[in-house]
Amino acid sequence: MLEIKNLVKRYGKGAPVLKDLNLSVQGEQLMSIIGSSGAGKSTLLRCVNRLVEPTSGSITLNGTDFTTLGAKDLRKARRRVGMVFQSFNLVDRLSVMENVQSGRLGYISTWAALTRRYPAEDIERAFELMERVGIAQYADKRADELSGGERQRVGVVRALMQRPEILLADEPTASLDPKTSEQIMSLLRDLARELNLPVIINIHNVTEAKEYSDRIVGMRYGRIIFDDKPAALDATQMDEIYAGTPSEDRQEMGAVA
Amino acid sequence: MSTQTVWRKPPFIKSPIVRWAFYIAVAVYVIGTIATLPIDWERTAQGLTRAQRIFSGAFPPSFERSGLLISGFMESLKIAILATTLGMILSVPLAFMAARNISPKPVYFIGRGTFILARSFHPVIVAIIFVKAVGFGPLAGALTLTVYSIGFVAKLLAERIEEIDFGQVEAMRSVGAPFLSTMIYAILPQIMPRLVGLGIYQLDSNLRASAVVGIVGAGGIGATLANAFGRYDYDFALAITMVIVGAILISEAVSGMIRKRMT
Repeated sequence: MLEIKNLVKRYGKGAPVLKDLNLSVQGEQLMSIIGSSGAGKSTLLRCVNRLVEPTSGSITLNGTDFTTLGAKDLRKARRRVGMVFQSFNLVDRLSVMENVQSGRLGYISTWAALTRRYPAEDIERAFELMERVGIAQYADKRADELSGGERQRVGVVRALMQRPEILLADEPTASLDPKTSEQIMSLLRDLARELNLPVIINIHNVTEAKEYSDRIVGMRYGRIIFDDKPAALDATQMDEIYAGTPSEDRQEMGAVA
Repeated sequence: MSTQTVWRKPPFIKSPIVRWAFYIAVAVYVIGTIATLPIDWERTAQGLTRAQRIFSGAFPPSFERSGLLISGFMESLKIAILATTLGMILSVPLAFMAARNISPKPVYFIGRGTFILARSFHPVIVAIIFVKAVGFGPLAGALTLTVYSIGFVAKLLAERIEEIDFGQVEAMRSVGAPFLSTMIYAILPQIMPRLVGLGIYQLDSNLRASAVVGIVGAGGIGATLANAFGRYDYDFALAITMVIVGAILISEAVSGMIRKRMT
């Protein structure tokens, strides 16, 4: 279970990007976060594994408070959180297998990483997962030879190699064409169920979010203003999420206008 | 209403007074410098006949002592290879240290400082220092060119690291990879083509430079050349020069070929 409490993130001296945010994610659900650009979706996701350092608040994953960890413990804790990126962030010049195995870098020694001596069980698992998502035949191809959809599959397998307790996907389909995008979304949904893995997805495509998620969270100006089943998201709610002003901010906004 | 039809580029210095004052000052300085430079025209005229003597003495080039020539050249090659290898090995960690995007501030300054120091002296000056320190011969040459290689390779490599796609680093961080593993997976593959390219270029460049530093006593073909001049063996000196030019042409062609195949 992921428990986010009173999370605040402020870049420099500006207005906070995340304002006292509370969120709890549990079980094998696929949760989508929607909201316009700048709403704080990406920052929220990156705060979870502290790729972005939260200003205050706590983030607890299955009993470990991530916000208080020192550098070494944080590194160990990050192994438990898988992440999939919009631009895939694969190592282009390495093979698909090396990319997939890079998901295990937190477990193997630097020497083993350098000499590419991966443990037999990791190789076995890599082939299983690659088989599952349909990229096993590319194991020895260079990552930059693959198409967008295939590259994102590599990204997903890399994250799954960590045997994560939660999977974060930061706009995983934004660089893909509509058809590939749907394939990746349904893959993520199926994997969430198969592996009993909670998945949080930042997404711009509301139709896809409604189709594939068990739960939708809407963000506006660093706050959560919608949190419910996809069916509950109607036109009024959409307007609020994409154009409205959260009630907490209304007063200060009114003062300016 | 008339529309403006004439347009001129705004002058480099706006105020005409300042502009003309600047031009006049430059002109006066240049004329003054030429007028006061201690050029002895008589000697310069003599130099022409002396140059003629050197050239007439140089023809035809003499390959009589080709044994000396070959051993000098092989020494240069050894110096260049050793210096390139050493330089590359030292440059890689230095470049990582000196890359702003991955290095903490103090380490960054140490890294930058090191290669700025390595770059700030011309190889000939470094060679003179090393010849004093370790004596005449190829060791001084190899050390000099190692320093020279570091100054060049580490700087360009650090700049390459600053241009990498940082998303890959972020991905490695997100899986909990330790620092060195992150460098090996996220950065090394991205800078590898540049690293190889620089290595080839540096070998080429070191071979050339080894002829120069040899003249001040740092071994190699340069030392052979300096000796030939010292003994007024202009024909032998020409032979050496021809070999140097030939070797550079060959290495230029080979490195160009390798670089073309790499991209």
